[in-house]
Amino acid sequence: MTLLTTMMERPLDAGYQEAADRRAAAGLPRATSTRTVLVVVLMVLAGFLFAVAAQSLRPKPTAAAAVKKELVTRIEALQKHGTEQEAKVASLGKQVREFEALALQQSGGPDLTTTIKDLEVQAGAVPLTGPGLTLTLDDAASTQADGNAGNRPSSGFEEGRVTSGDLQIIVNGLWGAGAEAISINGHRLSSTAAIRFAGQAIIVDFRPLSRPYVITALGDSQGMQQLFEPSFAGLYLSQLTEEYKIRSIMAGSDSLTVPGDSAARLEVAKPVGPPVVSTAPSTSSTPSLQKRTTTPASPSSATPTRQETSS
Amino acid sequence: MIPVLGLVAGLAVGLFLDPSVPVWLQPYLPIAVIAALDAVFGAIRAILDGIFNDKVFVVSFLSNVVVAAFIVFLGDQLGVGSQLSTGVVVVLGVRIFSNVASIRRHLFKA
Repeated sequence: MTLLTTMMERPLDAGYQEAADRRAAAGLPRATSTRTVLVVVLMVLAGFLFAVAAQSLRPKPTAAAAVKKELVTRIEALQKHGTEQEAKVASLGKQVREFEALALQQSGGPDLTTTIKDLEVQAGAVPLTGPGLTLTLDDAASTQADGNAGNRPSSGFEEGRVTSGDLQIIVNGLWGAGAEAISINGHRLSSTAAIRFAGQAIIVDFRPLSRPYVITALGDSQGMQQLFEPSFAGLYLSQLTEEYKIRSIMAGSDSLTVPGDSAARLEVAKPVGPPVVSTAPSTSSTPSLQKRTTTPASPSSATPTRQETSS
Repeated sequence: MIPVLGLVAGLAVGLFLDPSVPVWLQPYLPIAVIAALDAVFGAIRAILDGIFNDKVFVVSFLSNVVVAAFIVFLGDQLGVGSQLSTGVVVVLGVRIFSNVASIRRHLFKA
């Protein structure tokens, strides 16, 4: 305890007192000047030490952070590029369809326009507008992703997070309730689109989504809501909200737009034969329609068949 | 006043030059800073007590820094570097506090 007592009561170096006593005994003033070269030099040294320590011990932006920033800018630039290209694909697709219609008209064959339009709508290749529902899902307010989306937890499942499974069940419920076309965050769900997860990100048709998830379903909004809410998916959604505080808002609207699936491409084509021509007037054979079969990419897959006829 | 100007000049030089400290020296920097602070506050108190002595100041400053660094070095070799650093910080921190309390009594009579 002596140590503590001396430390607390007389923290000053005993050397000062001794030196002062010696000087007093020699007849000099007890204190020396504070302006001696020694003191000034030492003070400069001390300041230098403080500054150097403060600078070198301050956490610096590491190389990893710089790389991360670089990656983020690249990802953002590429995403922007991707969206631009998608818009281009959409506009080109529209042009192609116009040319197709024109070619059909000029070929003088049976009027397949309505068939094609019908099939395109079913395949999700064209944008649609109409009444419908928007269902907005978001992670619970308590999940970390709210504050810092960049730092995803490397492990563990957070209860308050919307998962791909939730989206699958809800989307299937909406289909079941009579939705005619569905898009999530502006990505059209065609019949080949999958909702999956990679890590903790939800991927729809190979494009990652970020929260909040806005599901747009076209159809009779009143009827869909009435069918959806008591269905399994509706109960599941209310359970998610109650148990895990996942936020969901459902709203009906008279005019909603879902974009076309820009990834839709021709996979299977069949020559127009007697069975397909049911809607078209089944008159004579159609010599002007060049029957063409493009390479079937995956004939076994349950892809929607889209008729393509060209002259 | 001149020593204070010297301190400011040293700070400015350090901030301006921003020299890179070798990695092996970095663990000793925080301890050295605290030891230096202790010596500086001790000197201020001695000035106010009227018993300041430049040689004592210089010796106490240098020995404080060297001894603190040595203790950390020794602790690192023995595998108790962080504990010894904590001990040094506690002791010097207490000294700084009571020196500052004494300075405060001198300046504000409270």
